[in-house]
Amino acid sequence: MSLLQRSSLRYLTQHPWLMGLSVLGVALGVAVVVSIDLANTSASTAFQLSAETVTGKATHQVVGTTGSIDEDVYRRIRMEAGVQLSAPVVEGYATLQSSDRTFQVLGVDPFAEGPFRPYVRAGGGGGIDLPTFMTRNTALLSQPTAEQAGLQVGDTLRVSIEGRTIPVELAGLIEPESERTRRAIANLVLVDVSTAQALFDQTGRLTRIDLIVPDGETGEQMLAGIRSALPEGARVQRSETRTETVEQMTRAFDLNLTALSLLALVVGAFLIYNTMTFSVVQRRGLIGRLRALGVTRRQIFRLVLGEAALLGVVGTGLGLLLGIALATGLVQLIAQTINDLYFVVSVQEITIAPWTLLKGALLGIGTTVAAAVAPAREATNAPVSTVLQRSTQETNLQDLAPKLAGAGVGLAAVGAAVLVLTEQSIILSYGALLFILVAAALLTPMAVVAMARGIRPVLGALTGVLGRMAARGVVSTLSRTGVAVAALMVAVASTVGVGVMIDSFRGTVVSWLTQSLQADVYVQPPSLVFRRSDATIDEAVLERLRQVHGVASSHTVRRVSVESPLGPTELVAVEQGPETDEVYQFKVGEPEAVWPDFGTKNFVLVSEPYAYRHDLAVGDSVALQTDRGMQRLPIRAVYYDYGSDLGVVLTSRSTYERFYDDRGVSGIAFYARDDVDVDALIADMRGAVGGMQDVIIRSNKALRETSLKIFDRTFTITTVLRLLAVVVAFIGVLSALMALALERRREFGVLRATGMTPKQVGGYVTLQTSLMGLIAGVLSLPLGYVLAYVLVYVINKRSFGWTLQLSVAPEVLGQALLLAVAAAFLAGLYPAWQMARSSPALALREE
Amino acid sequence: MTEPAFGNGSPAVSSILRLRGLTKTYREGESDRAVLDDLEATIDEGEFVVLMGRSGSGKSTLLNLVSGIDLPTSGTVEIGETDLTTLSETERTLFRRTHIGFIFQSFNLISTLTVAENILLPLELSGIRSGQAEEQALSILERVGLGDRGDSFPDRLSGGEQQRVAVARALAADPLLILADEPTGNLDYETGRQVLTILTDLVTDLGKTLLVATHDRMLLDRCDRVVTLHGGTLHDGAPDFLESSSA
Ligand SMILES: Nc1ncnc2c1ncn2[C@@H]1O[C@H](COP(=O)(O)OP(=O)(O)O)[C@@H](O)[C@H]1O
Ligand SMILES: [Mg+2]
Repeated sequence: MSLLQRSSLRYLTQHPWLMGLSVLGVALGVAVVVSIDLANTSASTAFQLSAETVTGKATHQVVGTTGSIDEDVYRRIRMEAGVQLSAPVVEGYATLQSSDRTFQVLGVDPFAEGPFRPYVRAGGGGGIDLPTFMTRNTALLSQPTAEQAGLQVGDTLRVSIEGRTIPVELAGLIEPESERTRRAIANLVLVDVSTAQALFDQTGRLTRIDLIVPDGETGEQMLAGIRSALPEGARVQRSETRTETVEQMTRAFDLNLTALSLLALVVGAFLIYNTMTFSVVQRRGLIGRLRALGVTRRQIFRLVLGEAALLGVVGTGLGLLLGIALATGLVQLIAQTINDLYFVVSVQEITIAPWTLLKGALLGIGTTVAAAVAPAREATNAPVSTVLQRSTQETNLQDLAPKLAGAGVGLAAVGAAVLVLTEQSIILSYGALLFILVAAALLTPMAVVAMARGIRPVLGALTGVLGRMAARGVVSTLSRTGVAVAALMVAVASTVGVGVMIDSFRGTVVSWLTQSLQADVYVQPPSLVFRRSDATIDEAVLERLRQVHGVASSHTVRRVSVESPLGPTELVAVEQGPETDEVYQFKVGEPEAVWPDFGTKNFVLVSEPYAYRHDLAVGDSVALQTDRGMQRLPIRAVYYDYGSDLGVVLTSRSTYERFYDDRGVSGIAFYARDDVDVDALIADMRGAVGGMQDVIIRSNKALRETSLKIFDRTFTITTVLRLLAVVVAFIGVLSALMALALERRREFGVLRATGMTPKQVGGYVTLQTSLMGLIAGVLSLPLGYVLAYVLVYVINKRSFGWTLQLSVAPEVLGQALLLAVAAAFLAGLYPAWQMARSSPALALREE
Repeated sequence: MTEPAFGNGSPAVSSILRLRGLTKTYREGESDRAVLDDLEATIDEGEFVVLMGRSGSGKSTLLNLVSGIDLPTSGTVEIGETDLTTLSETERTLFRRTHIGFIFQSFNLISTLTVAENILLPLELSGIRSGQAEEQALSILERVGLGDRGDSFPDRLSGGEQQRVAVARALAADPLLILADEPTGNLDYETGRQVLTILTDLVTDLGKTLLVATHDRMLLDRCDRVVTLHGGTLHDGAPDFLESSSA
């Protein structure tokens, strides 16, 4: 190590608090980014693994229109097309009553399985009795999973699917051959096709038929043969198609989480900038002496950058470890959200992707070094000194403030231009948002000067000389206070922005729910994905419910996923109820013209996100794969819907039945007779279907509350990320104040020597830090509003296609002020205490 | 009085420092004020020159120009074969690093390096290998009487001791020219004398060229030449004011 490096290292270790806080700030920033990435990757890996598990070696699949296909098709493929490499599959999700984990139920034909899913043969062929497996309700579980759940061969599993609970005997265990297989089959319940049909109440139907089709000419001929044997509505598709489309569902969701996770790192960058600036300002004299001794500017530059890199490396290392720990907690939140919104995924462990760690490391060290470039350049400008000079830096920043502000205005203009000029890109929108944040930070020094000057007489009148000094101090040490205020402001403004966005979103959803839940009672089977409840209600249950005394009328809804050239599409078929025209509020389209035709003419309505995603308008048409072949249905209206960001195609029940053979019902809404109490009706309904399929019967109020609960749950992770950014900002303010205190030790020594009591010094420092908090709080309000505006009208729109009503609750603003002042006040306590107790003699002796 | 009184006027082969037409002006409000005004000087190799002058007369300014820390408004600063005014900032730094030892009024030790490391620093910067450098540093530390303080940090040392370290540091890298700017300015009389004795002894022993700005008359007996900075130019001999003010 060279002497220069040694000198650096000693300086760093002489300020353990400051360096420690910086390392912590970097560590937290990196941890948040890495943990979100790890959690996202883990969820996606878990999904892929489970998809691979059930797909096995199949290259193609034969699928139906609405999620199932007649089992006769399998016979035709085997017999008529003569394809031996084919296997019937019935699959779905279930919960086991002994654990609340979600399991994937895979129903297969053991005779056809051989070439498809090797793990089935590995365990299934050996240990168990084939006739038993095939006839009775029996299942196989992975050996480690059974062991974990304390299950043994011969035990009874109680399998719950869409409200029906069926006992199944555990007939054998599958020994995973490798770690990968172990993870892949950890959530698998393997049953015979006929057992699966019974479990899912799908007698005579298959989810799909798996095929292994060779490449090239033979394969093409084989596919042609299969296609000719298929009935209308059934199709052959590549196996990967499903995984790909499912992965696409969460793209916008992942992207937004990633962007939000970067916030903590951005705030962390302020912290590093502040620490390095402090260390440079404090060492101006020392650097000047080194320069006088013949150390070049370049050497000084590298030295400061090296110090930052060291902090970055240590902080990033810690951050990676912390990120892995944090990911374990976050992954469950993310998995929950994905389950609520998109599809079923069960994540038992996190996948530590090396690429994620590498990205995190590069990002952490890169950000740290980048944040140190300006202070490092500042260091090279230290005058080659033979005598000590003081406070030149401070006047510089005050002179610089207007220039910085000018740059800020320019940057903000660039950000705004990007927002206005780009159409769809979410990444660019976030880029623009970052520009706006940095622009606001650049405007901060000037705003601080103006506000401190303005508040000085007020504070003076309130607290005397001490107050005037405190206000003056904020300005005279602007290089320190400016950065602290900026960091705090950015963090608080982000909290305000995200908070207002969530509030606006929630408000919009509340009024939408109130609008769309018009009936008195809603019934649906329990579903694993809340927003996409496409489970089927038993015919018998429907009949009983309709006959309960007090029911005035009812209308059903059917929710299926159908294929279309635009990818899998959620198709919702509704019976027109008395208030259907109020339930669906049109963004585009004429209700008077649409509703009278609903049911008689064949057309669809699409939800706002669907229209946005696929760039469709009234007058266009949607092509759907039906049991009557591919059909193009015209779009007559675009309606508001906040239930699914993937979008929904809505049609009438009669149109649906014209094109599809499916007669299932996913949900049913009831109107009570005027003389009937709704709660009593619900109780009667529950009584009427007791012992049958377990369906959820609830009032519109209860459904609304549940929906909002889920809504709030999907934003939990956002709230966690917001909080973490504020924590980093708090550390930033603390470190800035500590730096300030250290730097002004001498000044405080003089104050103490001239008769200021420790208490007065403490009061002075606290007053000053609270003032900084107040300034940051006030500045964060307009910035927070701008962020909220961009989040609501640009980013949400681009990510999900929703129109939201921006609404700012006055409390949010008050809370922001409070948060800023409280953070600064708390962060100021320790430095204030330190300054108050510092001995004047000691402080004065230091050079 | 207007004659260039410093040096013999013709550039001798043995001259190590040549200042030609050296002018330094500072902007003061609306107008420029010349601190150094067309100053001429030559110093021969091995010469020991004392620079006197009132506070504010421009001594520090002159020394900073000679060391390349600062650039003149016009004129040239030639050290050996090199004209510092034609060099870039970095080139001047590299030149200073290897050819000039500087002793400051305010010691200017590096607080984060030990005494021994402070002395090693110029050696390391000039790329002298560490084993040899350490020996060199230790021997010079012995010479200034601080052989046992090598591992202490500067803030543990008294002012006189710190300035002795600075002397050792200035000499460590075997520079062409040693500059000292009021090396006793921050020390009491006795201590100042001790430091000056050590400095002049060392310089004389090593045969180095030394230019020292000071008010201390003790050096008048020991130096080769005395010059006084007044009105922006140099004059031979000690100034008259010194006699009256030091009485
Ligand atoms: N950077 C500067 N800007 C303006 N004036 C300066 C600067 N440095 C020195 N001076 C002025 O130049 C004159 C000479 O200063 P200096 O060389 O420090 O004198 P000395 O060292 O002889 O006391 C003084 O009047 C001083 O105020
Ligand atoms: Mg001087």
